[in-house]
Amino acid sequence: MDSRIKRIYVPMTESGFYILFCLQQPQHGYGIGQQVRQMTGSDLIIGAGTMYGTLSKMENDGLIAFVKEEEKRKLYQITELGKKILNLEIQRIERLYKNSKGETVK
Amino acid sequence: MSDRKTMIRFFTIADYEEEERWLREQHKKGLKLVKIIIPCFYIFERCAPEDVVYRLDYQNDKEGGDYFQIFKDYGWEYFTRCNGWLYFRKAASEAESEVDSEIFSDNSSRIDMINHVFKTRMIPLIVIFLCILLPNFYDSIAEYERTSKTVTIVLGVLFVLYSCLMAYCGIKLRILRRKYEKGE
Repeated sequence: MDSRIKRIYVPMTESGFYILFCLQQPQHGYGIGQQVRQMTGSDLIIGAGTMYGTLSKMENDGLIAFVKEEEKRKLYQITELGKKILNLEIQRIERLYKNSKGETVK
Repeated sequence: MSDRKTMIRFFTIADYEEEERWLREQHKKGLKLVKIIIPCFYIFERCAPEDVVYRLDYQNDKEGGDYFQIFKDYGWEYFTRCNGWLYFRKAASEAESEVDSEIFSDNSSRIDMINHVFKTRMIPLIVIFLCILLPNFYDSIAEYERTSKTVTIVLGVLFVLYSCLMAYCGIKLRILRRKYEKGE
């Protein structure tokens, strides 16, 4: 994996993580926003500018790819590279979680 | 044309937060922004006074795909653009929460925008300064006997104005970036 990509995205912002996580299924910007709001009990609300900026950055870096257009909305989905990054993030978050509970990672 | 009003106000590339606040104040007084004519003419239309949040996004005219659709879905009305900046507004009563009245929900995307402004606006300003204004000003002084005084004075004034503007924008953008890096 490109070390530049890894440096940018691991660790990633909370918004970035949720966006990438939601794109395991094809989805458009506003749809992702709604899903995140619902998943987090409105704890995390992603603004329109942050959503657009993150999507275009991730598309340029090849983490997500354009799937199709539906009613003027662009649908994206995670790529193989995106999945690798997402897994690295999940492992990192799991380690954080375990350590925060006083457990040691073997 | 009594329903229109033009105001003159100058905001630099680093004053977008002040500009947002100023536009919100005008709307509270019953003046709704219609468009901006470069460099500093703000054309308003009279309307019912209302608390409306204004937000500026910088895309340098490169916004693509469903950019406007995303903002529309989030309840933002796009109404004009000027010099790479896009103007959005939303009635404060429609924003369910504080975050809902922002277009950026984290500091990392605010910093991305500042960096974008810096790269596409500040750097060209510096290049113009170093490659055009500075050499011309220098020549007019070095060869003052052959250059008319008026040219030297005009270049001198431009030189000072330009230097002040560059210093102001450069410092202010850095302060903004630092503010967001610290998470304030």
